[in-house]
Amino acid sequence: MFRHNALRYTVLVLLASGALFQAFTAEYFGLEILTEILILAILVLALDIVAGFGGMVSLCHGALMGVGAYAYALFSTKAGVAPPVAMGGAVAVTGAAAWVIGAIGSRSHGIYFIMATLAFGQMAYSYVFQSPVFGGDDGLGGISRLDLSLVGIDLTDSRSFALFCLAILGAVYGASVLILRSGLGRSLTGVMHNEQRMRALGLTVWRVKADVFGLSGMIAGLAGTLAAQHIMYISPGLLSWTVSGEALVVVILGGLGTLVGPLVGAVAFVVLKHEVSALTSYWHLVVGVILIGVVMSRANGIFGWVESHSGAWIERRLSDATRDPEPEEAVSDA
Amino acid sequence: MLETRNLDKSFGAVHVTRDVSLKLERGERRVILGPNGAGKTTLFNQLVGELTPDSGSVHLAGEDVTALPVANRARRGLSRSYQKNTLFDGLTVEENLGLAAAVHTDNATRLWHDSLTRPEVREIVDDVAEQVNLMPYLHATVSEVSYGVRRQLEVGVALATRPLVLLMDEPTSGVGPEMSKGFHELLNNLPRDLTMLIIEHDMDLAFDVADTITVLNYGEVVFDGLPEAARGSKLLKEIYLGSWEDA
Repeated sequence: MFRHNALRYTVLVLLASGALFQAFTAEYFGLEILTEILILAILVLALDIVAGFGGMVSLCHGALMGVGAYAYALFSTKAGVAPPVAMGGAVAVTGAAAWVIGAIGSRSHGIYFIMATLAFGQMAYSYVFQSPVFGGDDGLGGISRLDLSLVGIDLTDSRSFALFCLAILGAVYGASVLILRSGLGRSLTGVMHNEQRMRALGLTVWRVKADVFGLSGMIAGLAGTLAAQHIMYISPGLLSWTVSGEALVVVILGGLGTLVGPLVGAVAFVVLKHEVSALTSYWHLVVGVILIGVVMSRANGIFGWVESHSGAWIERRLSDATRDPEPEEAVSDA
Repeated sequence: MLETRNLDKSFGAVHVTRDVSLKLERGERRVILGPNGAGKTTLFNQLVGELTPDSGSVHLAGEDVTALPVANRARRGLSRSYQKNTLFDGLTVEENLGLAAAVHTDNATRLWHDSLTRPEVREIVDDVAEQVNLMPYLHATVSEVSYGVRRQLEVGVALATRPLVLLMDEPTSGVGPEMSKGFHELLNNLPRDLTMLIIEHDMDLAFDVADTITVLNYGEVVFDGLPEAARGSKLLKEIYLGSWEDA
């Protein structure tokens, strides 16, 4: 079951403070990296809900983000819908698509579920790639950002947009916690631990999986609308399975099933990518080696490692504090 | 309350359930006996819907539920425990009971509140924990409690759905004699209006708890009657009870 603890709150505060510091002090390039991290963080939260708490390892979350991005672009540029409504519409469309994928995929498990989601993602990618409505392989440009001038915020400014993404990430994190602490989220955890028993208790398992996959899809779609506004141009590459693969790498790197871990993973992944790619174009190799190290260490990602070691450290301190001193030591100490 | 009519099931050439007809009245406690491979668990699996019979029907509270999936039968009041522990291992005893109670109270799919903290769920959790002696272990995870406590929890999780009919597949399987005695008491203390069908190898428990006894052999009902009659049955001694009495 999802639980917060002191360490998780501490890491959340550190991450939020770091993001705010970066948002107020960084120049253009730093703000672009920050925004990239924030959008990726929203996507990996969506993935962690289904993979970490439902055992549904998805390889179509990149495609779902792409669906959100394209829906926003089409609604706002071609249908002439106001950007806030376009955002809401895009999130709803992505949620509906994800619900259907979740409902169909709910009867499969493990590698078969992964393959099913991969197939759905690649179908979406191929369709967008070939369809003139979506701009084919040229993609779609001229995408506008939300207009928040009424409240005195200019989102065309990189700093404002980064802060806007940070606010959305905060809201998404809160919503994710509420989902996981809800009856639906608790049941999802039960299904991950023992699907047969949950069914025997009377739960309609496929419906729970589909509903949570739909909610997760809405979050991925929201990340897509932000990605479209960030670059103001989108291409089919956004729906490619490699985007889903990267999201999965980030979740595993940070700590599957912790919510906080994937946020750490998003920071580590994007920073590594930019820092290492400045030194070599083979940055994927470096990330790959680190990922292998994380997996081989048997810790649940970077955050999982910190959590297990801090737990052991606290236990040691507690046992030291409660142990009676040896008589000799007491004498020598005196 | 629970009835099967001419239930038949084969796996290839192996006939595992042959024309089984049972009828349990409300509040009846029936124990199913039979040697290994007699088809007891296969019968259970057909009753709850985990297996589909080749022919015949299952009726719960007068309704034909043969075509209904597992979850629908459970929601109508048919609950089971398993021979091998089928629990939520990483979760606490309290959460295990809470998940079951949440399904029963229709809180399991709600998005706007935490199912485990709902008063109606808490009430069932406390009540069942009291019934199956799990109060001291509520905050321990399944992996932290002993095997015997897990067997109690196995029954507790099934009870937390407030069933009309409780099917228990060898509830004392693998527990020692002392704990087994505790199970007699536990089962005898359950509400009298709860209908129970129990697969059991522990003869003491069977004769202590059962109102009626059914014996299966090669998938066929070979005895159906009162415990006293079962004790005196020559056929039973030949196929099953001989080994018990000799022991």
